[in-house]
Amino acid sequence: MSRLRRDPRAERAAQQIARSDGASPRPRYDRTQRATGGRPRRDPRAERAGQRVAGGVRPRYEIGQVSRGEGPVLAPRPQAAPEAVAPKILILEAPAFLIAVVPDAAGGRLSAHDRQVLGAARTLAGRDGGVVILAPDACEGIGSAGADRWVRFGDDAAAYDPAARAARLAATLGALAPRHVLFPESLDGGDLARRVAARMGAPLFGNAEVVAATGVIRPARGRRVEQRAMPGLLTTVAPDAVAEYGGPPREARLLDVEAASMAGRTGPILAATRIPADPATVPLTLADFVTAAGNGIRDLDTFRRLVPALRATPGASRVLCDAGLMPRQTQVGASGTVLAATCYFALGISGAPQHLQGVAGCEHVVAVNTDLHAAMIERAGLAIVQDAQTVMEALLRRLAVEADAGEQVA
Amino acid sequence: MKIAVLVSTGRHPVSGATVLSRLEAQAIRLAAGLGEPLGLHAGPEQAVLREALGQGLVRGEHIVVPDGVDPVPALAARLAATKPDLILAGRRGQGGDETGLVPYALAETLDLPLIPDVVAMASDDEAGTLRLDQSLGRGALRRVLVRGPLVVTIHPDAPAPFAYAYGQARRGTIVPLDAAPGTVEGTGPTVEERPYRRRPKLVKGAPTGGSAAERLKAATGEAGTAASGRLLVDPDPDEAAREILAHLRQIGVLAPPTRPSIP
Ligand SMILES: Cc1cc2nc3c(=O)[nH]c(=O)nc-3n(C[C@H](O)[C@H](O)[C@H](O)COP(=O)(O)OP(=O)(O)OC[C@H]3O[C@@H](n4cnc5c(N)ncnc54)[C@H](O)[C@@H]3O)c2cc1C
Repeated sequence: MSRLRRDPRAERAAQQIARSDGASPRPRYDRTQRATGGRPRRDPRAERAGQRVAGGVRPRYEIGQVSRGEGPVLAPRPQAAPEAVAPKILILEAPAFLIAVVPDAAGGRLSAHDRQVLGAARTLAGRDGGVVILAPDACEGIGSAGADRWVRFGDDAAAYDPAARAARLAATLGALAPRHVLFPESLDGGDLARRVAARMGAPLFGNAEVVAATGVIRPARGRRVEQRAMPGLLTTVAPDAVAEYGGPPREARLLDVEAASMAGRTGPILAATRIPADPATVPLTLADFVTAAGNGIRDLDTFRRLVPALRATPGASRVLCDAGLMPRQTQVGASGTVLAATCYFALGISGAPQHLQGVAGCEHVVAVNTDLHAAMIERAGLAIVQDAQTVMEALLRRLAVEADAGEQVA
Repeated sequence: MKIAVLVSTGRHPVSGATVLSRLEAQAIRLAAGLGEPLGLHAGPEQAVLREALGQGLVRGEHIVVPDGVDPVPALAARLAATKPDLILAGRRGQGGDETGLVPYALAETLDLPLIPDVVAMASDDEAGTLRLDQSLGRGALRRVLVRGPLVVTIHPDAPAPFAYAYGQARRGTIVPLDAAPGTVEGTGPTVEERPYRRRPKLVKGAPTGGSAAERLKAATGEAGTAASGRLLVDPDPDEAAREILAHLRQIGVLAPPTRPSIP
């Protein structure tokens, strides 16, 4: 909200007193009244009178109170807390056209990238179009991410058969007949989009960084040029390029679309197993959960036992790396590794700016430090002011107890 | 095992010079672990193929295709004739249109399965089957057992390419081939090109249409979880440990306790 620009000439002209005939030719101005806009002039006398508490012989003033009106201060009325209004769900009865979104929805949850693709679809759909999401059953929050319709399109995650998935998707898209189809340009999404493009023989506009109804833009030739085209049928959207949908939640009504089932045919893939990343050896840039030690940790043996117990990747501040107590490749920060982890667990780290730069991308931070005023404590979502040594030991004790209980259950 | 590596004309990311793209050099390395990699290039020049020979190719085939013509029909015709057991390609080109569509178009034309983003390959005990490790991001892998012939694209996390050997590049042979007649001009969607313009980075967690102050808060991590953070001053260490574990589990980075721990 920007303030209105003042126009001193107009203000003066408004203050000029209309001249009656025969008066002096000099223009005269009424400076007592302020022009419209601007701050009202303070009146200290009236303010002082307004601070006077009613009653009593001796005048008493409530000086904390600044009111412009005259008259004694009234006892403040208890204000009713603003009622939490549930946001109204937007319902689109008959969309003029459909924009389909095929999210990754790994583990039945929309990723940030998926929500950005939904945001892009929403801008393409505009007021009359509807966004239809092709998601498995368990997806939540698709309405607030901007989906008007929902087509159940899932498969069991255990079986890996991308060709069959693309074939089913192509059939479903044939039945839906959307105007545009958007995919995230991720490992899985990009693969699926290209399979569908090859199968349908439709051109694909890959890795779009700008998505609008007036045109989509993608980088090419090593980011030397950008290519612009009208949005076609198939588009993949680059990560962190388009904003998520920020409006009121939408309906996400279930649409029933019958697609020909492709069961029966066995593909060339004989088996597929998922091998989770080994947190002990995964590079720090790729790690999902990092537990880091700083200068406040004296007993690094306990720390080295704690890290595998938490199934985390070890990290350290520069002080420890410089001292040779931790290997250099574990250093987190500006001159070390910039993390992309989901969670960062800092033990005895003060949180120097150079260190915090490495943690800026982490969604969750947990810190243990003896100093209440450490920057790390301020940054953390869960901050514990306590000796890290005792907390580490308590953590190890607790994890050991849980492991024992787990073995008894199993 | 007959392995064909698709070689494209890459551009160096900084200098813009014609180079072999790194992903294809990595593909040659992976192929060398399984058999003798043969290169296949469709384009006007053969300089890239010469470089690929220096990176470990045994022999190169160069299909002469004029600039700006879709290479897929020429490649598909040659691959249909030679019938390799394994066709390797990078996941994206480098310096061209970078759509990553060529392997998919080839797989569709040749009716072969395609496994994307592979970082390691080994032949399985059973003849004709391969064990492929596929990158899932963040260091996680998917091990796929698959029967060939098939098309495989390579992920940047694959092992680094071999060092360039000049003698090998000189000694290697390149066979020029003529494109089969009937290749048509590639007709993509009409695109307009202009110099690349960097766009403002999206600040994660900043509200749409928020003020500069809100964006700054989001960028320095003061918004979100940190703003609504919990602070425990001098708790009992066991109490603190319980809080930390509960918090980590709520985020989802630590497995729930009832599951027996993985040794
Ligand atoms: C150009 C430049 C680049 C740099 N790059 C980096 C970088 O990339 N990464 C990096 O980490 N640093 C970097 N630094 C160094 C950085 O400025 C800090 O010096 C460093 O991060 C401090 O590390 P620390 O927090 O472990 O140690 P300290 O600042 O000494 O903090 C130790 C903390 O532990 C707490 N503590 C003490 N005892 C206990 C206990 N028993 N239990 C719990 N807490 C305890 C203290 O309260 C204190 O907060 C760089 C510096 C420069 C000049």
